[in-house]
Amino acid sequence: MVRLNSRAVAAGLVLALLALIVLAPIAGLLNLSGIPGYEPGDLRFWQSAYIRRVLFFSLWQALLSMLCSVLPAILVARAFALQGDFPLRGLLLRLFALPLVVPAVVAVMGVVSVYGSGGWISLGRSLYGINGILLAHVFFNLPLAVRLLLPQWQTIPPHHWQLGEQLSMNAWQRWRFLEWPALREALPGVMLLVFMLCLTSFAVVLTLGGGPKSTTLEVAIYQSLRFDFDPAQAVVLALLQLSICTLVAIVTLRLQRLPEVEIALDSVSTPIAVPQKRLNTLLILATGIFVGMPLLSMLIDALGGPLWQVIGTPRLWRSLVTTLFIGLFAALFSVGAGWLLLQYSASLSLAGKTSKAHLVDLAGSIVYVVPPLVIGSGLFVLLSPHVDVFTWVYPIVIAINAVMGLPFVIRSLGPALRQNHARYHYLCQSLALRGWNRFRYLEWPLLRRPLGLALALVAALAMGDLGVIALFGTPHSATLPLLIYQQLGAYMIPHATVTALLLLVLSLTVFWGLERVIGGKTGA
Amino acid sequence: MYKGLRFFGGTLLALLLSFAAQAATPTLVVYTYDSFTSEWGPGPQVKTAFEAQCACSLELVGLEDGVSMLNRLKLEGSNTRADLLLGIDTSLTAEARASGLFEAHRITMQKSSLPQPWQDDLFLPYDYGYFAFVYNKERLDNPPTSLRQLVTDEEGPTILIQDPRTSTPGLGLLLWIKKVFGDESDQAWARLSKRIVTVSKGWSEAYGLFLKGEADMVLSYTTSPAYHLIAEQDARFAAARFSEGHYQQIEVAGLVRSSQQKQLARDFLEFMLSDGFQSIIPTTNWMYPATLARTELPADFGKLIDPSPALLLSDELVASKRKSWVDDWLEVMSR
Amino acid sequence: MLEIKQLEFAYAAEAASTMQFNLGVAAGEILSLIGPSGSGKSTLLNLIAGFLEPSAGQILLDGIAIETSSIASRPVSIVFQQHNLFPHLDLYTNVALGVDPSLRLSREQADAVATALDQLGLSDLQRRKPGELSGGQRQRVALARVLVRKRRILLLDEAFAALGPALRAELIEVVKKLVHDNNMAALLVSHQPRDALLASARTAFICAGKIVALEQTADLLDKSQLPQVRDYLGSV
Repeated sequence: MVRLNSRAVAAGLVLALLALIVLAPIAGLLNLSGIPGYEPGDLRFWQSAYIRRVLFFSLWQALLSMLCSVLPAILVARAFALQGDFPLRGLLLRLFALPLVVPAVVAVMGVVSVYGSGGWISLGRSLYGINGILLAHVFFNLPLAVRLLLPQWQTIPPHHWQLGEQLSMNAWQRWRFLEWPALREALPGVMLLVFMLCLTSFAVVLTLGGGPKSTTLEVAIYQSLRFDFDPAQAVVLALLQLSICTLVAIVTLRLQRLPEVEIALDSVSTPIAVPQKRLNTLLILATGIFVGMPLLSMLIDALGGPLWQVIGTPRLWRSLVTTLFIGLFAALFSVGAGWLLLQYSASLSLAGKTSKAHLVDLAGSIVYVVPPLVIGSGLFVLLSPHVDVFTWVYPIVIAINAVMGLPFVIRSLGPALRQNHARYHYLCQSLALRGWNRFRYLEWPLLRRPLGLALALVAALAMGDLGVIALFGTPHSATLPLLIYQQLGAYMIPHATVTALLLLVLSLTVFWGLERVIGGKTGA
Repeated sequence: MYKGLRFFGGTLLALLLSFAAQAATPTLVVYTYDSFTSEWGPGPQVKTAFEAQCACSLELVGLEDGVSMLNRLKLEGSNTRADLLLGIDTSLTAEARASGLFEAHRITMQKSSLPQPWQDDLFLPYDYGYFAFVYNKERLDNPPTSLRQLVTDEEGPTILIQDPRTSTPGLGLLLWIKKVFGDESDQAWARLSKRIVTVSKGWSEAYGLFLKGEADMVLSYTTSPAYHLIAEQDARFAAARFSEGHYQQIEVAGLVRSSQQKQLARDFLEFMLSDGFQSIIPTTNWMYPATLARTELPADFGKLIDPSPALLLSDELVASKRKSWVDDWLEVMSR
Repeated sequence: MLEIKQLEFAYAAEAASTMQFNLGVAAGEILSLIGPSGSGKSTLLNLIAGFLEPSAGQILLDGIAIETSSIASRPVSIVFQQHNLFPHLDLYTNVALGVDPSLRLSREQADAVATALDQLGLSDLQRRKPGELSGGQRQRVALARVLVRKRRILLLDEAFAALGPALRAELIEVVKKLVHDNNMAALLVSHQPRDALLASARTAFICAGKIVALEQTADLLDKSQLPQVRDYLGSV
């Protein structure tokens, strides 16, 4: 089977590259014993109560945040799916793309503006603790989950809705027989992604957590690497986080069930009579408000700030261009790599080797949990003897952001690509429709929408990235998030809010643009 | 066709000339922290001033903060491009010394406005500041007048602080309390913790939250009100003066052993101690310049509190005890 | 028994075009509907089932108007070309859903399901999932569900299009028996004139949203002089 082999080769190359980008730096860090002033710390730290506590807290807050984000997201996505087309639908879905873009520190300010002591819905001091963490995490992840789950309703065949009506199913039965099976493919993956996002969340947990009781593994890794300068411990902690996530991923992905029979023509599937219209409208409205409030507060803060002064600085525009550049290239590479992986995974699925397919998906996703700090530091160790790292800043930042974006690509593009492959692969083989022609005539028209979403997601993520770019000092402030952080660190908080607003506007434009241009004009 | 060739030839020549020119001007690479290199920080003015006198090109590389800088240097080892490190503070100097990456500067400080005489052969100070709790005068009428009062007063103001594991002011508070309370530090923290609204990752988060009114006081510097006074004409903010004194943060620069431009680097260090550099510091870095007298500071600096006595623990002590002190702190705060 | 009176449906897309249907189907009869794609055959079935709302006209079953009833309360069962079954449920459950979507069946209802499966030769397969079955078997399951529902009207929307001739003929016999035994009125939409010959005494030819001819099947297929019919049937 020549076809399978070439996919396998391509996917293998991508995986090898991933392993290189992620594992080589780790190896590099472990190999640091030659550095003067370095004394290996006590590696038996898992006997330390501190680490055990940290581990427990990390997992617990991630699990809780994930449940609080994904479960409501299912209901909200359902509301969107069942309501069909309504005014502001497109706008709301675009709005849901924003939280992903916002740098954590800015989002924290937004959350505090709304729920803090001086806020609109004041929680006072109880904000700082698990409440604040949950609020911020749900703000970030609920919209994302909604966008990833919503397309699943499109996979329900129109005839099933009709039969459901005829067999007089009530809402619960419709859910049980129609909707839940359609979700089963995508849901575990989304849950895993949100779990990983919450597990590796740093600034949110540390600032809204209230104190050291809310310490996650990321903080411990950060501390090991930066303050203690104990790379070996940092690496071991990073590997610990990686292995735990892998375990969680394996368990979650086992729950993933592919649809038994390939279904759905490409027509847009809309259900018929929807009895719960009011409830769904309320739900959509409530979610819109919840997501919108912190964003609105950021907008208000920004408009009250030195808007024109900030816009007038040339450095802002240079940063904007760089941000755009990094975002688009990272998106391109991420989606490219993801595409190759997913093609291989899809062919494995078709051949019935579902567990192998899951492994490929897993490998692509799991790299997210290796902290960029570890990767970055490791890369330094490896590269600086041979090359001037500063000239390679942009490629490195783009590469790492592309890797970080992979799980998003896999979640958003994966199910559609797999279905498409299952439906048309044999036909393509019989027509000898391959390579560019296949992409041009088959995959592009049918997969445009999820491709657009995937590109948009990674671009948004990369544009809002602060962690990776901050590691690689550049002679000039390079990106908008970095600029924001600098302004924050120099008492210029009003300026920072304006810059944050501009970042949001840029990201929204890019997100919308990519979705429109790549994804085509159909409504989400 | 000939026109094109001439154009091409001209460009090529220009490129070659510029390369030659660049090759002639040496470049001095200085690792510093982000806010130094930003356009409202000291960086741009320092660059202009130094390049005017040195016939060289000054490259300021902004790396998050002092800790990142040092770590970066350690990771790069002798392959580093850096000639100078500017911006670590005295809590890090012992570690920096132990890394063996720095070389003696061989410069004597002619004048110094530091409260104590400077005695380090590897590092030279360029500015310093004092930690203090900053508050809004309209919101808080009677701020505590001593650290002890802040800690023990049950009805005292709520505060925002930073995490000593991730932030230098956070570490500064830890050392401050250690200096004032000694063996009773754990109890002090236990009592103080009830009034801590949150412990943030870095200074900016805490300060930002403070400005939003989330707490009555925030751990910052005595010079913070100067920013609001001078840049924003806002007189609402003040720092609380503590009778025990305030913990000091001295920022230093050091010469990297593997530098290829040692003479130029030493020239920069001399420049750093001179008025040309020092006068830039107050309103760009918002710290006290190391060699300028009080009288040479902007007028509004006079409105700031007097932080004496300046408290400081020896850098050797900090280096050896930091981890265990932080662990103790974690223990207390996690109860 | 089933009467369609001046049933109209307006196309949103083409302003001037309105479909209009008039026909009657007797109890125990299968009326075949043939015609070119897009002519409105499926639309008519959807109107009867209630998936679409007519702009005017009536649908009467034994003289009682049903065009205003809800989908669930109409005495209709429909079998599509595909997607009749829920792929993650076994055959038994798929059929049982026809009785009660809450799947809480009384003793008699459970027996009825078993009997239906038996009558269609599916008893051995009742624990299998649709994915494990052939196309013909799947349509049988759909018919088993029709059987347990005991509704008066049966609509078949190209239900056998994906099956081979022998299988098709076999299933048409099954349907004929079903319709006869239960006194149902059935409408069969198909692209195969042969199906009409096997299933129906009368066949209607639908073209551009109107019933252009309604005759004895053999007459329509062999002797019709209408140009639309001749074009559609080609050289038989």
